[in-house]
Amino acid sequence: MNVTIENLTKSFGEKKALDINRYSIHSGEVVGLVGNNGAGKTTLFRIILDLLHADTGCVTVDGVVDGIPVSCDTSKSESWKSFTGAFVDAGFLIDYLTPEEYFRFLAKISGLTDEILNDRLLQFDSFMNGEILGQKTLIRNLSMGNKQKVGIIGAMLHYPMLLILDEPFNFLDPSSQLAMKYLLDTYSKEHGATIIVSSHNLTHTLDICSRITLLEHGLIIKDYDRDYALLTSEIETYFKGNINI
Amino acid sequence: MELSKIRLFYKQISHNQRLQTRRHPMFEKNKAMKILGYFFIAFWAAYLIMLGISAFSWFDNTSYEAFDWIDGCMVGFLSFDFISRFGMQETPAQNIKQYKLLPIPTKFLLHTFLVRMGFQPYNLFWFFFFIPFGIRAIPQYFGIWGLVGFILGWWLMYVLNSYWYLLWRTLINRNFLFLLCPFVLTALFVFFGFFYDMDHQWAFIGSMRLMRGFCRWNPMSFVIVFAVGVPLYIVNYHMQKGTIYAEIAKTEMIKLFKTHNMVFLDRFGLIGEYLKLELKSVWRNLVMRKQFITGSLCMLLLCGLFSFTGIYDDMVFMRVFVCVYCFTCLGVMTLTTIMCAEGNYIDGLMVRKETVLSLFRAKYYFQCFMLLIPFAFSLLPVSEGKITLATAFGCLFFTSGAVFPFLFQLAAYNDTTIHLNEKITRSGRDTKMQMLVSAAALFFPMLVMYALIQCFDEHVAALAMIVIGVIGTVTHPLWLRQIYKRFMKRRYSNMEGFRNSR
Repeated sequence: MNVTIENLTKSFGEKKALDINRYSIHSGEVVGLVGNNGAGKTTLFRIILDLLHADTGCVTVDGVVDGIPVSCDTSKSESWKSFTGAFVDAGFLIDYLTPEEYFRFLAKISGLTDEILNDRLLQFDSFMNGEILGQKTLIRNLSMGNKQKVGIIGAMLHYPMLLILDEPFNFLDPSSQLAMKYLLDTYSKEHGATIIVSSHNLTHTLDICSRITLLEHGLIIKDYDRDYALLTSEIETYFKGNINI
Repeated sequence: MELSKIRLFYKQISHNQRLQTRRHPMFEKNKAMKILGYFFIAFWAAYLIMLGISAFSWFDNTSYEAFDWIDGCMVGFLSFDFISRFGMQETPAQNIKQYKLLPIPTKFLLHTFLVRMGFQPYNLFWFFFFIPFGIRAIPQYFGIWGLVGFILGWWLMYVLNSYWYLLWRTLINRNFLFLLCPFVLTALFVFFGFFYDMDHQWAFIGSMRLMRGFCRWNPMSFVIVFAVGVPLYIVNYHMQKGTIYAEIAKTEMIKLFKTHNMVFLDRFGLIGEYLKLELKSVWRNLVMRKQFITGSLCMLLLCGLFSFTGIYDDMVFMRVFVCVYCFTCLGVMTLTTIMCAEGNYIDGLMVRKETVLSLFRAKYYFQCFMLLIPFAFSLLPVSEGKITLATAFGCLFFTSGAVFPFLFQLAAYNDTTIHLNEKITRSGRDTKMQMLVSAAALFFPMLVMYALIQCFDEHVAALAMIVIGVIGTVTHPLWLRQIYKRFMKRRYSNMEGFRNSR
């Protein structure tokens, strides 16, 4: 899936939260959005997902799904929803369900049978680490890390061609962070999906992403293609420049 | 802890509690409700003052003094107070949670909140009755200090009542069967204390003597109150302590409702999934459950009054009017906050195609299914000839085809999240729009009925209601889609509202 952003602006009162003239993400890319708090990462995700109204501009998604060409403005059509998966925050979780019920609900509304669901859940087995299924616990009673896992798995269950994850490494323990990296890497290679993640964890982001976009105060400061050595040093230099030690 | 620290913490916690109410996200949207609330308080205060003044003369030419009658019926006053606390008095457990990590001893926090509970202004509300009554009834027998003792005594009884309520309120969170506890205990107390032995009404005599003791500043009365109050306080302290840890540890487990119990809904496909969601939401979320139970109880109460009593038999209009209300009350009570529960996870729904439309349909079918209960009840008056079968069908279809479409309009306008597991008082409800629509939903059927019965007769009114209702019911896919379109047009502002009020 290609994602094209044009003339996108969003302000909250006097404060401009986002101002992107043109930005394109190509099919199959794994893009990492990095930036300090308030950079506009979540705002951008919300606008892409049509959860927030942009003051100007639009987000277009196009590509081929099941052999059929698709192109749509995410704010004007709902057709992108069938091939998009996302997890931004707890507002995506129906927390009075158990994880099993939540997955089953998502599977049903995505047209997946119980057999397919069980088969797909098996693929997340190591990521779940025996802490999600069979716990007889409602999602609202899970730990933050496990809630995060439920949200991420829920976003990936229907094998979306566009996957958007806001800070997926948050709340995860070190083992789960590694499992998460492996999961995204494998998913990208197996399905050729476009993945956009935001994270404050530079190491993980650099490890999994083929492209890094640096966002600050709503503006795209830099857009790096993968060149690991250069990327690491430049990004670290940038963030070091923002702090007074 | 040092006294200065105790004072500082107490002052700060009191201040924070006031701010918590004032800065609640719903404050702005609740303004209309607040004004209405103040109006009701003023109304009741005036009413109680009037009662207090006039109550003195109710008991002329009786074997006891007026204050003895009032004191003797203490259980009635306290029961009424107990019921009126429902939904108003909060438990300390949730309030304490945010202070748990601060360097303030839990013990101190618990005592602070429990003591504050004793001193809450609500315990003084009944003074609007007791002060004017006491001024007329007490000084002539016990002097001014007697009046002070009388008022102090009643205040202590209301403080005890607040702790008793708190205990019960905490227990029903553990097991819903405790709901019956105060009703059973009061019924037993009244039966054995007043009616079992009419010659020795010990409940009447006991409370009368207790209050006379306060008027005379008899230490025994104070000892009795403290003998009851101190254990009640200690039990509450330990109960609240357990509740805090349960809340922090999040020990809630699924005990009652599992997916496999609802496999019969699988045959309805996507709608079935949303029906399951609706049922689980009602069952597993405190606020939704209370809302549903209250609505159902109102419905059953109206149905019971209508079916098993003859109080509305003489008036055709009232008969049909109450019949309509049996059908509409649950819908009015639950649909006015339509989509407010979903505000908690609206983002997850909105990134999936037309899920909200399916949700609307599921909600509609659920509400229609619930109409079968009042319909079943209405068959009894039908069999007795109180109303015709056409009227029962008219009410059924009118509700599903006219009242529900009206209430469902709120789905496009509600933009405030209900906090699913908080107390109703803190969950954020009743915006101006909701109040307006629920009032209109209650009066609209009445106006239609009135007009039709006045213009024609009951039979024609029933037929007209069937026709209007069937049209509305059959066309539900159309109007639900229209509401969905409007919902989508307003989605950005609604979602922002939901997020801001989470």
